[in-house]
Amino acid sequence: MAKSGPPQAQSQSVRESRPLFAGYAPPAGTYDEVFLPSGEPRPGVGLAVELLAELGRARFVRLQRLADATLLKGGITFSVYAQNRGDVERVFPFDMIPRTVSAGDWAVIERGLIQRVTAINAFLSDIYGEQRILDEGRIPRELVDSSAGYLARLRGVRPPGGVRVHIAGIDLIRAPSGEFLVLEDNVRTPSGVSYVLENRSVMKRAVSGVFAGATVRAVDRYPDKLRKALDSLAPDRLAGDGQPGRMPRLVVLTPGRFNSAYFEHSFLARRMGCDLVEASDLFVHDDRVWVKTTAGPQPVAVIYRRTDDEFIDPEVFRADSLLGVRGLVRAYARGNVTLANALGNGVADDKAIYPFVPEMIRFYLDEDPILGQVETYSCEDDRQRTHVLDHLDRMVVKAVDASGGYGMLMGPTASRAERAEFAERIRKNPRGYIAQPRVELSTCPTWIDGVVEPRRVDLRPYVVTGADGTWVLPGGLTRVALTAGSYVVNSSQGGGSKDTWVLGDES
Amino acid sequence: MISRVAESCFWLHRYVERAENTARLLRVNRSFILDVSLPVGDRWAPAVIVAGEQDRLPEVLSPEAVDDGELVQDYMTWNDNNPVSLLNSIRWARENARTIREVISLEMWEAVNELWHWLQRGPGRRMYSGDRDAFYARIKAFAALFYGVCDNTLLREQPFDFMRLGMLLERTGQIARIIDVKHHAIGPTALDDTDSAIASAQWLALLRSCSATEVYFKRVRESPKGATVLPFLVLEDGFPRSIVHCLARAWEFMQRIR
Repeated sequence: MAKSGPPQAQSQSVRESRPLFAGYAPPAGTYDEVFLPSGEPRPGVGLAVELLAELGRARFVRLQRLADATLLKGGITFSVYAQNRGDVERVFPFDMIPRTVSAGDWAVIERGLIQRVTAINAFLSDIYGEQRILDEGRIPRELVDSSAGYLARLRGVRPPGGVRVHIAGIDLIRAPSGEFLVLEDNVRTPSGVSYVLENRSVMKRAVSGVFAGATVRAVDRYPDKLRKALDSLAPDRLAGDGQPGRMPRLVVLTPGRFNSAYFEHSFLARRMGCDLVEASDLFVHDDRVWVKTTAGPQPVAVIYRRTDDEFIDPEVFRADSLLGVRGLVRAYARGNVTLANALGNGVADDKAIYPFVPEMIRFYLDEDPILGQVETYSCEDDRQRTHVLDHLDRMVVKAVDASGGYGMLMGPTASRAERAEFAERIRKNPRGYIAQPRVELSTCPTWIDGVVEPRRVDLRPYVVTGADGTWVLPGGLTRVALTAGSYVVNSSQGGGSKDTWVLGDES
Repeated sequence: MISRVAESCFWLHRYVERAENTARLLRVNRSFILDVSLPVGDRWAPAVIVAGEQDRLPEVLSPEAVDDGELVQDYMTWNDNNPVSLLNSIRWARENARTIREVISLEMWEAVNELWHWLQRGPGRRMYSGDRDAFYARIKAFAALFYGVCDNTLLREQPFDFMRLGMLLERTGQIARIIDVKHHAIGPTALDDTDSAIASAQWLALLRSCSATEVYFKRVRESPKGATVLPFLVLEDGFPRSIVHCLARAWEFMQRIR
């Protein structure tokens, strides 16, 4: 815990920084991450405020600029598909006011995430195996069969170690009650962890003094933990390349430098100390995967692949894909290569399946869900669809297999024409949409043009599963909707990020 | 290492070396034509020929453009249709660097990334207009930083070997071309002991194009002429910018790679 004097001294420093926060007013009915409705900082999470008080406004502005320059210089960028300018790389806007999570809150989140990912792994094993949960009618069979991410041809294939979700990014929001709820699961190719690591790096450089006094849990173990988890799941017969003492070869497969998350692929390969490869560097021979090196072809045991299922093997999926490795699915089905995450995970983060995750937890683990979810309506169900269409102005409607904030209707702020258009889409393809009443996401003080203002945030923690179990990165990516009044935090829709501080135990 | 990555290492250094040579060539040529009065057709054409752009420049600009120093410099520095323009060399150096981030050090990446943004976003253009010499000096400084960081931070493994190989082969080619062009420009009296003022100045300019002036005078105690300058630039093993030196080191790296 940061060095804090007696309560009186603490509020004094808060008062000194008060001019920065004068007029800070979170919207009514919203949980603010830092300030109580009374205007006092929440006990235990006032670190951010103390940080600002210590720095003073002028210095803070300079540090923000320094952070931006560092990120640009380091090429820590992403590309935006929607925009069509010459320079497609953009720095993911980084806000220097961190978002803090108390140790107590985090303990619940951590347990809840481990429980959830365990259940999802069990679900996927079951769906691609015996399908007990469908036989017992706990989840409608048609829902799984009709899911775009369900790859029926892979039924019966068991990946090494039985793990399918090696890396999960579970999006959480904080409701007005202060409770964390799961908004959505991402178990195909979740991204963003590189920003978590780089943001922390920038913060440490800028405000090292604050870190010295605080116990903010470290995030830099992630690449090491991920590497160990992936290595632990190499196919048995390939462990060691047949050579004693040799580690099985791990590669990161990227769609290439024009992919929006390319920086992250490269970053993780570097930090894990393994090769970054493109599809053209690999080939399949004898149902095994090989990589072209200057010493000739070498066997590959584990592929951390950031290419979607659809594009990953032109022999089986999209034949026009230039990003895939012909024969990869064959090698995978034979158990000759580990793919992280496994093929076919899309059925689990299908938004129409999301309402059933609590059911999965009860069915496979015989436990009650630790983390709640957002109330969700399936448009496929007649009664629910009617309700959604009648209340479109209050709903957030999402396409079931979309990501990045695309394919979404923000009912309360959309125009009549936009709502009508979306209503049509729902009627034409009810299975393709779910709706959720808009939740008042929590707000966090954010630096906007020299003034501190409340902006809505979410949290994406990262969960890694290996042969030895599941580990949760302390913290994760806090995304912030930078536009005033916006509820959409995705980078592609103009969002930014903050460093996330999970406090260590008070001792 | 991944074959494609080896190729990128090789080309990254070729492009950096190419950019530095372009900058040096243009800078030397500028000061050279101030020292000596040459016929208009001989002032900038040699630099264009060294770059191999003698056919494309007249097409992209105009047949007369090759005689206009400002147009030639602009073409050789900024023109997007010129595959060997300085801007394009840095662009491709950066693209290669971007795809092999996991192999090069952060400082190497930052050096080329910073230079790219400087060129692309305005400050480069302003210095080019305001202080041409300082502009070319900046490119040279970048190369020195880039090689310095490379030498001082990279493990002596295959990526490093491919990088040095690329740099040495590009350098060899550049030296050979510079000598060749100047040789043609100076004329068939190349190896004579002719001591005319123009010939002298041209040999001196040739040395400067290869950053060889001071080392030449240290080693050869005669005023520069064909019979002394050419052997020095081709055969002097102790000089890092001689053809023999570059080829010998390139050969060593190829052996290491094998």
